[in-house]
Amino acid sequence: MTTFSIRAFIPPLTRRCLPLQATRRYAVQAPGAPMLEIFSGQQKWMQKERAASDTETSRSVDYLRDEVASRLCERVLDINRHFPRVLDLGANACNISRMLTLPSEETPDKGPRSKRIGTITAADPSETLLHRDADLPFNKEINIVRDVLTTSELLPYEANTFDAVLSSLSLHWINDLPSVLAQVNNILKPDSPFIGVMMGGDSLYELRTALQLAELDRRGGVSTHTSPLADVKDIGGLLQKAGFNLLTVDIDDIVVDFPDTFSLMKDLQAMGESNAVLAREKGGIHRDVLLAAESIYKELHGNEDGTLPATFRLIYMIGWKPSASQAKPLERGTGMFSIKDYLEKDKKPGEGKE
Amino acid sequence: MPARTRPIDKLATAAAKCSTESSVYGKCIFADYNNVRKDMCATEFLKLKECYLVRSLPKIEWGSADQSTEGV
Repeated sequence: MTTFSIRAFIPPLTRRCLPLQATRRYAVQAPGAPMLEIFSGQQKWMQKERAASDTETSRSVDYLRDEVASRLCERVLDINRHFPRVLDLGANACNISRMLTLPSEETPDKGPRSKRIGTITAADPSETLLHRDADLPFNKEINIVRDVLTTSELLPYEANTFDAVLSSLSLHWINDLPSVLAQVNNILKPDSPFIGVMMGGDSLYELRTALQLAELDRRGGVSTHTSPLADVKDIGGLLQKAGFNLLTVDIDDIVVDFPDTFSLMKDLQAMGESNAVLAREKGGIHRDVLLAAESIYKELHGNEDGTLPATFRLIYMIGWKPSASQAKPLERGTGMFSIKDYLEKDKKPGEGKE
Repeated sequence: MPARTRPIDKLATAAAKCSTESSVYGKCIFADYNNVRKDMCATEFLKLKECYLVRSLPKIEWGSADQSTEGV
């Protein structure tokens, strides 16, 4: 069954240029629609590799990914089930795995959150970033396998492999989200959840507007400096189109205060989250524009104490692969009692006192 | 080997010293931010840039403090 492949002996950079002739996988595309390419996968890969090669700096900007991964783990805990095989899609520096080895914030004495997880497969195209924390002690506390992907849009796994697929802060760099979600649906076992979180809608709107105004004034036009992001409204449709059932989508805003725009941009760069839009202006942002954007950001969005807030809007999504045995929503109008009555039941005594 | 100062760090330190000019320029854009056109706040920006350029020059110790005290 197994065929001998020399792929592993080709250096990574060359390997990326070779076509994957032997790979035939399930993928979908909207009929008739041309494949849109917005982000440069090569550029993103390079940025992540470069960022991760400076281990110290890269670790110092893990605050966002760790926090988001931790919140995602809490959502995994909400599902009362054992997951023998889990895939962490777009693992970055294996933040989810590390967060799983920590105890839950709500019940700190109950041991690590990873009790119900068997093997976690961390998959990411960037080898350096993926293996950055491979020597840290948490690797011994969880059964982790690191898989370097050839591209972030092709999942080299058999159908019905995983009991859960998690994804934290990497879906926003994927060009063909419908296809990747359909592939995720395909590799999940029936009645298994996909739990993901991605950057969405109004993330970094302060930086976006400040740079736009600065460029308009300095250069008389606007070029793309922040990615176009999926909106909350789109996610439900995307998941449904990929064949998921029982969807849950919710959003969460994390606002981080930065001393100035330069530290914000430096942090984004150290995360490997710099601009990778194909239509971007090559080369750095003009110095005049940076200088102008700093002033505009401060004036337009700045806090009273002089710090600059940066909003990260996170979209959490949960979808289940359909299965015959799965619990189905009841039909409309079959409810036996009113939720309104139930919620107001507890309120009534309190209202009288106030 | 001392760590190399990145250009963005130099830009950040120099820009931080020009808060007055920066705020004037920011207010100028903010006054009409729905209708920004090229060089709308050119004068304010030039003042900001001038300040930034002066501040970003390497410090030259012309008549440093101890010399002037000697003269006195």
